[in-house]
Amino acid sequence: MKSFLFPVLLFAILFMGCAHNHHPASTLAPPSASLQPQQVTAASNSVQMPLKSQDMSAKSGGKSLDDMGKGIQEETVVVSDPPEPLATPAGPAKPENESVDHKENLDYVEEEGAEEKVEIADPLEPFNRAMYHFNDKLYFWVLKPVAQGYKKVVPEGARVSVSNFFTNLTFPMRFVNCLLQANFSGAASELGRFTVNTIWGIGGLLDPASSKDINLSKQDEDFGQSLGVYGLGQGFYINWPILGPSSLRDTVGLAGDYFLYPFNYVDPWYAVTGVKAYDKVNNTSLKIGDYESLKEAAIDPYVAIRNAYIQYRQKKVKARGVIPEPARPVGASSTLVGDKAP
Amino acid sequence: MKRQLAGLSTLMLFLFSLPVYAGAPLDTVQANVNKVLEVLRDPALKAELAKEIKKDKLRPIYKGMFDDVELSRRTMARNWNNLNVTQRQEFVQLFRQVLEKVYADKIISYNNEKIVFDRETLLSGNQAEVQTRIITSSKEIPVSYRVILKDGAWKVYDVVVEGVSLIQNYRSQFNDILVKNTNEQLLEILRKKVKEQ
Repeated sequence: MKSFLFPVLLFAILFMGCAHNHHPASTLAPPSASLQPQQVTAASNSVQMPLKSQDMSAKSGGKSLDDMGKGIQEETVVVSDPPEPLATPAGPAKPENESVDHKENLDYVEEEGAEEKVEIADPLEPFNRAMYHFNDKLYFWVLKPVAQGYKKVVPEGARVSVSNFFTNLTFPMRFVNCLLQANFSGAASELGRFTVNTIWGIGGLLDPASSKDINLSKQDEDFGQSLGVYGLGQGFYINWPILGPSSLRDTVGLAGDYFLYPFNYVDPWYAVTGVKAYDKVNNTSLKIGDYESLKEAAIDPYVAIRNAYIQYRQKKVKARGVIPEPARPVGASSTLVGDKAP
Repeated sequence: MKRQLAGLSTLMLFLFSLPVYAGAPLDTVQANVNKVLEVLRDPALKAELAKEIKKDKLRPIYKGMFDDVELSRRTMARNWNNLNVTQRQEFVQLFRQVLEKVYADKIISYNNEKIVFDRETLLSGNQAEVQTRIITSSKEIPVSYRVILKDGAWKVYDVVVEGVSLIQNYRSQFNDILVKNTNEQLLEILRKKVKEQ
């Protein structure tokens, strides 16, 4: 269940790539597409905005003018001619200087892009940072050497099969959470995958459902995401030992998903632990190097991982229910239900 | 009536979107990525020793593909306005070097993975997102390029891997550093980072 997915987030959060394809495009709202009404209506000295594009944006009134250049309503829009330049006096922006060579002169103006702010409160930072170092050592001293040894002995094909097998076992979690999110096409897709992969994929060792002909993509849903879909915020950041990056919400999710993972019902407890540890080693063996490059790329790895985790989770919550782009040719049931899906 | 309205709005759409679409974002990104792949696949540069030659060849492609200053400005966001021009210029230089050090080797280790160009989405009049996927033997990694139209060319200012935006990720780190440090100290940290590898 979740603790299975979390090694993923623990060691490489973003760079590892899951075997599913999400298409977030449709959920990416373009917040900057429309003009801010205040800027337009606050016109004191109304001037007609000429249809010049790029160089205009260099002017000191950055924001409103910049918007003008692109806005669809270019012709009709009337802008205020700011009595004093909006640019901060500290900023060295001089419109006259503006040229391709002096792009550094341009100040930053809020809202230029589609990216929204993704931050999370971190009241437990001292604890979290300590746990970050613990996990870091755990990886470099224990997990990585073990996984490297394992990698030498077991060929990649077999390791991918093992990974498929464990993924197949977490089907209840994905299925139930698709339903909880009213993502019926996703639930149908998961049900189809489980059936196909269990029967024709030798108990889940292979993944024929992802092949081009069947094309049922994995729905990476968990209870943390379901809570997010219901509108619950992340709360604050928690970096668990061993499990890695999480948040208040996702920790609750983790606990909820616990009951949906079949292996947790196995007796005795050390068998469960052994299986989980093996899965973790196997997973790690498939992505040795990801965590290293993530760490190397960062100026402050702790903050980089925290931010990556939050961005990654936020995107997953947003992307729910987005029907994968290529229409599924086979699997009548999934297309049927898919019609009703949001 | 409805049909007329639809016709009119379609016409408007074309009127206003045509000039913006001068060089379709997806085509631009694809052309640049193909240039990169050409270098990476060049059989004459297979040897380990050719790494530096590859890097030298990739640099001009990067320059044509990315908008360095835009990338830096968005990464720094509000903090950008507190830097003076010299600091900004140095920041742009340093940040590019950091990114090069980190990603050049990753790119050069390319092993014939397939890259699929899915589609482009307009984010606003002069910004778009181009969605691609890198397909390896065991997984699929969604990679999006955010591009901005400047001087008639679409230039990349952000790369989003698995839903994680590069500039946002660095922004959170720089923000965190600047809470406790001055601009000059941030530049010093970057200088060290460039030197250390």
